[in-house]
Amino acid sequence: MLWPALVIMAPLLLGPLLALLHESLKPYVGGRIGGDDAGALTLANYAEIAAPEYVRYFLDTFRVGLISSGLALVLGFPMAHFIVRRASPPVRRLLIGGLVGTLFLSLIVRVYAISMTFGPLGPLSGFSRLLGIASNSPDGAELMVVLGLMNTTLPLVALTLIGTLQNINPRLEEAAMSLGAPRWKTFFLVTVMMCLPGILSAGITAYAFCISNLVVPMLVGRGFILFVSNLIYARFSEVANFPGGAALSIAMMVISVGLFYGLLHLVRSTWQEAGK
Amino acid sequence: MSMAVLELQNITKRFGSAAAVDDVSFEVQRGEILALLGPSGCGKTTTLRMIAGFEWPDEGRIFIGGDDMELRQPYERNVGLVFQDYALFPHMSVAQNIAFGMKNRGVKRAEIGRRVAEALEQVQLPGMESRRPSALSGGQQQRVALARALVTRPDIMLLDEPLSNLDAKLRLQLRREIRTILGTFGCTSIIVTHDQEEAMGLADRIVLMNKGRIEQIDTPHALYQTPRTLFAADFIGHANWIGGMLSRRGGEAGVVKTALGEIPVMSGDLGDGPATLCIRPERLSLLDAAARPDTALDAVVERHDLTGADLRIWSRLADGTLVQSLEKNVGRHLPEPGTAVRLGFRMADCVVLPGRRPQA
Amino acid sequence: MSKRIADALFEAAYLSLITLFIAFSVIPVLVALVLSFDARGFMGPFPPTQFSLRWYERFLADDYYHAGLATSLIVATVATLIATLAGTLAAIALSRATFRGRAALQAALLSPLVVPNVVLGFGMLVFAARLGIVDGMTRLIMGHVLITFPYVMRTTAASLVGIRASYYEAALSLGAQPWKALVQVTLPLARTGILAGATFGFVTSFDDVGVSLFLTDAFTYTLPVAILAQMRANLDLTIAALSVIFVVATVLLIVLLDRLAGLDAIVGRGVYGR
Repeated sequence: MLWPALVIMAPLLLGPLLALLHESLKPYVGGRIGGDDAGALTLANYAEIAAPEYVRYFLDTFRVGLISSGLALVLGFPMAHFIVRRASPPVRRLLIGGLVGTLFLSLIVRVYAISMTFGPLGPLSGFSRLLGIASNSPDGAELMVVLGLMNTTLPLVALTLIGTLQNINPRLEEAAMSLGAPRWKTFFLVTVMMCLPGILSAGITAYAFCISNLVVPMLVGRGFILFVSNLIYARFSEVANFPGGAALSIAMMVISVGLFYGLLHLVRSTWQEAGK
Repeated sequence: MSMAVLELQNITKRFGSAAAVDDVSFEVQRGEILALLGPSGCGKTTTLRMIAGFEWPDEGRIFIGGDDMELRQPYERNVGLVFQDYALFPHMSVAQNIAFGMKNRGVKRAEIGRRVAEALEQVQLPGMESRRPSALSGGQQQRVALARALVTRPDIMLLDEPLSNLDAKLRLQLRREIRTILGTFGCTSIIVTHDQEEAMGLADRIVLMNKGRIEQIDTPHALYQTPRTLFAADFIGHANWIGGMLSRRGGEAGVVKTALGEIPVMSGDLGDGPATLCIRPERLSLLDAAARPDTALDAVVERHDLTGADLRIWSRLADGTLVQSLEKNVGRHLPEPGTAVRLGFRMADCVVLPGRRPQA
Repeated sequence: MSKRIADALFEAAYLSLITLFIAFSVIPVLVALVLSFDARGFMGPFPPTQFSLRWYERFLADDYYHAGLATSLIVATVATLIATLAGTLAAIALSRATFRGRAALQAALLSPLVVPNVVLGFGMLVFAARLGIVDGMTRLIMGHVLITFPYVMRTTAASLVGIRASYYEAALSLGAQPWKALVQVTLPLARTGILAGATFGFVTSFDDVGVSLFLTDAFTYTLPVAILAQMRANLDLTIAALSVIFVVATVLLIVLLDRLAGLDAIVGRGVYGR
């Protein structure tokens, strides 16, 4: 039963990977599409990425992604908790429907709606002023990117955390309260602590989604905030530097896959040891 | 030509380096109900799964109806299996569940409908054809599972812990019903259980297993009356233990030297050496002055437990051993705690077993 | 008494975070809804003063969007069908498998979830070029199978966890061949998960930008790519109208999914779920 998946997925997974690896080692010749097939293979494209002006894009990507996924956890956990522990069945159904709906709603539509709402002419344009940020400054662009990324990851985080919370015995919270812990203490010391592996996993997944995003910085970053994804796309669409784009792609892939599985492994091994 | 429906020959199954089932052999005769009894992890479920074809033995052979089951897939064996969780298909009605096996075995449509109704009749669930399994109680699900397996007329029925998912009261009732249903179909059956009462109440013979090996195969009565190992005596029912050294005195007779003195026993074919006496509580009695038992021991009463019809009396022997004896609750005046008493038993009522029990 | 005050403060913070969540998710959609009826021909301050259906009319008249929609529907349908077939079988096979490297194979098949879509799209473009494939539709379907497959497999695998092994074994012991046990027992029991997985896959494909941007050609482009191009070209409100259409379609999809599978089944009830 595995073979249909293997026959279909093996070429689709390995083909692009090997093609990119090969492309990234070709010398780039300005003015032509694709690397120079005749030239000797080179690591020059990778050396170029290490230049400070490129490292900046990587740092921006990781920093803005961290802020956005962190905020998504802060908003998403109480919502998941509310749905699992407090909402009546019809409210629960409505909220879950809303979450799945938001998840399914086109990303472009959501980012467009955010830019219309928080943009200079939007009804909530005052939000950035409230935070003391000028809406046409680089900080304003970053705020918009954060809002856009949060909006994309919030339903994902909330739905994942619903799964986590449903596997935590509510009697533990009742036990804490009957032992004299007030609600807020019970929430932080029992509920949040019990869910911590799930919270961190959800956060890591959200982070992986944030740092691979293309559309949000493209639409609301206004050139101030560009992610590595945007850089790769620019290599393709603007300068047709395929070897450079391939090298960036390989680097980004190694970093995001390594980061995702590395962090996930760290979370799992930490909690497995604590469980013993 | 043997009458055995099922025969296991020297079956061994290893998971990793540990043997889950170790050199197990037994036969089941036509119409017989056999129980595989033992604590969890003793290999009884693995044995059952090998008979059903879900696990393959590393060594040994399995014959069903005289046919070697080697390389036979589960669906090529004519075996009826009742799962511990019943495994009734939740997306099918009761009738569809029962018809499933017959359809796979090529029974004709009209015949299927007739046999489904008949089977539901026999498990006392007539007219339940269109119900969903989720709409049935635990006991009803159990009976549908039985009907589903029986209706294909298997060579042998395998029941995996059939009563463990039911509450205590229902368990007793269903034990009787299962016995009746299996009897009606005249079906050769194997029941896996960890509950000795269930095994004693259901089975014609019991295969007692421990750590992958067979301890004893016997009728329930013989297993209780004449256990042959310390494990068998300990696992089935309650027992009092007195440790000592056995020495033969010619013939069947012998004597066990204990801290309480020499106790005469029927030693059977046991050799000299460390031995333990096993006396069931109902065979150890409070003696009045006139009684002349084979063995009498001095003791001090420690406490009584009333279980209803019976009184369990706990007394301490001279060497500090705590023993229990069972008296009928017939209104007789019983010694208060602290009273010195004599406890006695007949030679025929104590079993000598090889080896010593580890000190508790 | 101080415990009471602390709890009241906590409750206030808890409820405001939930309110914030809902407001943040709902208000932008409402804004887009209002703007889509704006009668003005330029971007004016909110709220609009006059209302009309002009943006909807413009969308209905614009072949550019229609072509994109058609391509998106074809690509998403074909990719989802392929991914569902292969992904469901793979999930079932992996749920029973005991061979070494099972976890590694599973991680490899799920890996497109963590690799940025832009990388997948760019890689697929270079790969297709090497194979001599220049047809937009073929390239798009290749790329979209790659990104929908993990969603289908993951969701199906999760739903298989709740199906006890004894159902399959019971079917075998009742004389069913393995393929029959699969078709009559395992697949019907997993149908909710398969349906949910296919829906996720379809939505992922339909919504994709990162992969499609690289694989479209001048004549074959998906709807999101078309919208993106328009958005960067000029800020007209046809997109607001389109957003409202998207929202309506999504709501219909959710209602449909709830009817067919039940939303709770998709989220799961967990050990202590109500």
